[in-house]
Amino acid sequence: MNSTNRDVAPAEPDAGSAGYGPWRLALRRFLRNRVAVAFLILFFLIVLFVLAAPLWANHVAHTGPNEGHTLEKLHVNGEVREVVTPEGKPIGPQLFEAEGKFFLGADSRLGRDEMVRLMYGGRTSLLIGVISGLITTLLAVVLGLLAGYYKGWVDAVIARTLDVLWSLPVLLFGIAIGTSLALGGVSIGPIHIEGGSIWVPILIISIFYTPYVARPIRGEVLSLGEKEFVEAAIAQGAGPLRVMFGELLPNLASTIVVFFALNIANNMLFEAALSFLGAGVQPPNSSWGTMITVGEELLTTQPLLAIIPGVMIMLTVLSLNIVGDGLRDALDPRSKVRLEAHAGMTEPQGAAV
Amino acid sequence: MKKQRAVIAVLAFAAVAALGLVSCGGGGSSSSSSSGGGGGKEGGVLNATYASFPDYLDPQLSYTQEGWTAMGDVYIPLLTYKHAEGTEGSEVIPGLAKEMPKISNGGKTYTLFLRPGLKYSDGTPVKASDFPYAVERCFKLNSGGSVFYTSIVGAQKYAETKQGGIPGITTNDKTGEIKIELEKPRGTFTNELGLMFVAPIPKGTPMEDLSGNPPPGTGPYMITKSQPGRGWEYERNPYWAKANSKAMPEYPTGHVDGAKITIVRNPDTQVNDIEQGKFDWMENPPPASRYAQVKEKFEGSQFKVVPTISTYYFWMNTTTPPFDDVKVRQAVNYAIDSAALERIYAGQIVASHQILPEGMPGHKTIDLYPHNMEKAKEMLAEANPSDKEITVWTDTESPNKEAGEYYEGVLAELGFKTKLKEINADNYFTVIGNLSTPDLDTGWSDWFQDYPHPNDFFQPLLASESILKTNNGNFAQMNEPKLDKEITELREEQLGPEQEKRYGELDNKYMELAPWAPYGQRTLSTFVSSAINLESVIFNPTFGHYLTSFEFNE
Repeated sequence: MNSTNRDVAPAEPDAGSAGYGPWRLALRRFLRNRVAVAFLILFFLIVLFVLAAPLWANHVAHTGPNEGHTLEKLHVNGEVREVVTPEGKPIGPQLFEAEGKFFLGADSRLGRDEMVRLMYGGRTSLLIGVISGLITTLLAVVLGLLAGYYKGWVDAVIARTLDVLWSLPVLLFGIAIGTSLALGGVSIGPIHIEGGSIWVPILIISIFYTPYVARPIRGEVLSLGEKEFVEAAIAQGAGPLRVMFGELLPNLASTIVVFFALNIANNMLFEAALSFLGAGVQPPNSSWGTMITVGEELLTTQPLLAIIPGVMIMLTVLSLNIVGDGLRDALDPRSKVRLEAHAGMTEPQGAAV
Repeated sequence: MKKQRAVIAVLAFAAVAALGLVSCGGGGSSSSSSSGGGGGKEGGVLNATYASFPDYLDPQLSYTQEGWTAMGDVYIPLLTYKHAEGTEGSEVIPGLAKEMPKISNGGKTYTLFLRPGLKYSDGTPVKASDFPYAVERCFKLNSGGSVFYTSIVGAQKYAETKQGGIPGITTNDKTGEIKIELEKPRGTFTNELGLMFVAPIPKGTPMEDLSGNPPPGTGPYMITKSQPGRGWEYERNPYWAKANSKAMPEYPTGHVDGAKITIVRNPDTQVNDIEQGKFDWMENPPPASRYAQVKEKFEGSQFKVVPTISTYYFWMNTTTPPFDDVKVRQAVNYAIDSAALERIYAGQIVASHQILPEGMPGHKTIDLYPHNMEKAKEMLAEANPSDKEITVWTDTESPNKEAGEYYEGVLAELGFKTKLKEINADNYFTVIGNLSTPDLDTGWSDWFQDYPHPNDFFQPLLASESILKTNNGNFAQMNEPKLDKEITELREEQLGPEQEKRYGELDNKYMELAPWAPYGQRTLSTFVSSAINLESVIFNPTFGHYLTSFEFNE
């Protein structure tokens, strides 16, 4: 049996929150969630880290992300170290011994600076995550609103289409499409996306993840459509657009914000998987996924080359998930209650934070 | 991917992101056989691995080392190469033919007789008329190897019309006689009759790529199952023992009862699997990152280096800007640093800047473009190409992948706006060999000798007649009538010191026009598990490792 909002005791207002608006209240609740705040800070640090890529590349490492140094030698404390040995082994982490050059070592026999590629790769991974998150959210909101508001055949068509998309093996389809588009790109009307462009993985991720956001939004719209404020707006003569975007959309804001954060995390994981399998970001450009692929070959001799980008993915995704959960709890305290009620808790707590 | 929120799942993924994902992989190599060895035992099934699926598992279509290795003991041509290594392995000997061809009419008529009593692996008797069918199939499927047979009377017309048969080949199924008339003498034709492209197959074999269901062959083994992209299996040809081995007793029968080939795309995993005995042999060499370690640990017992007659190079499409300008191509040659590439290949190539590799008759060391980036930039500035946007092609197999990335970096340093396309090694040559593929500007390639004659490094790779719509091998689309004429003249003559000298000069002339930027000659290797008798394994310069040469240790 489903539990509904009516089955659950309403959340108690926060002590001392009288007079605050809903967003301010949400902020207060979020700030009280120390774990979420800590991981939000971590996420911002990661963003700063990747944004600093050009600074590090130009002023410390003195090399670009795709620049090879196969035959270069480093002079460290009077010792000559080859960036790549004649046997093809790349140099390991030098930290600050070589004035920041090859801080994390070289990435392969091409002798590219691992640290520089990590920073630029992070930019690519985050960029893909955020842009595809925005596109997914936009598509999902529009489809969810249309399906939930109009119901009937419109809902049937949209919902079934989303069901079909949902039922597809996402990774396999992503690989198949990514591989084929990597060769010739794709043309959508007047827009042509080149084969090696990062828009290819963005497009794939955006389309395949739309159902995961659109379906909950549709459900929320169906629920909101029964509320008095919607009936009142319609009674006052509001048209469909006004109801959808003027009445329903603002009430979906908290859901959208939470899904957006979680969606970025998922997108980054998907991008990493696609890139690892050669169907995402195309070489020589780096993303954390492609860096794991490059590191794979040297896993037995230079395991850090695969582990470091893996850890970066883990930290970013983890921070986004925890921030997303924190946002959900802050913006919609009753959602936690609902989840707990679903889980069979007998005494749901009113205060979610 | 469905699990969006659970932190545990995220942690789990993150933990495996670095380690779990990296466990995917593949690898491969080839085999050979002969009577060599000793100390081994008969029987068993060879469990082997390739890093990529061959371009085709179809004798008329395959034009890669992997493909020929895979089919070397399955499809026997009228003539073949001795089951031996090195120079000895370059000797052409009778295959399905009773003896070497009788050459008459000033080198224009070749007469051979089929051995009696031969049968295909499905029991169908081998007929003389199966040979012209194989040649026609080669043309009909636009095989990259068809260029070797255009000098047969009527073959060129058949290549264009795909109708009416090839009148220059006449056969008599009763006597087994096969007579081939050439329009002009061709000094390489005996070698070319020993290639896989014209290995007889039963008449009526579909005129389509049969890689998923290879046709019956005449060799000691037959391919019983093929799953493109994944692997294939061999069993003994039941008609080998019943018929063919009696008809051609000098051909090795092989030791193992069969083989199972699995594609493992990660060569690192392949090495681990060989070390642990999960696989008995890997066709491709160990990855550069493990090469030194494997060599040190296993050389002599499970590992041996095998020299090859090969050239690794970057091709430049001479028909479109910016590489239609010889100065641009020369500048690129100056910019390529073979020393860096030697390191990228972890010492598995020897630097070279010419078309003919060492060991090939006619080779005379030249180096027209010693590495000089400044000069390259100057020349490029002089040429001032209008189009600087180029696509660079390479395959996904290491270290060719890295070589392609290195090349892309060099071109970017020269000021080109580059785009790198890495194509799965299974399909790479099919993709770049299809002229309808867009943006075929420049890229990586290699070439291993088909037969020990310098024509093999010019005609299929640089002669204008070799520019094919599909299965093209002249990636530079080089079309230089003067040099074409020299290739034609030279191949009509029997190879001698004078011809070798002229081939050396031809090498120089092509390098002056710089359709390629050659960078090295490869060494390959044989790496087997401790269960295999390394001594018996034969690496032939044309067919690679022979399956018939593998045997398990006692």
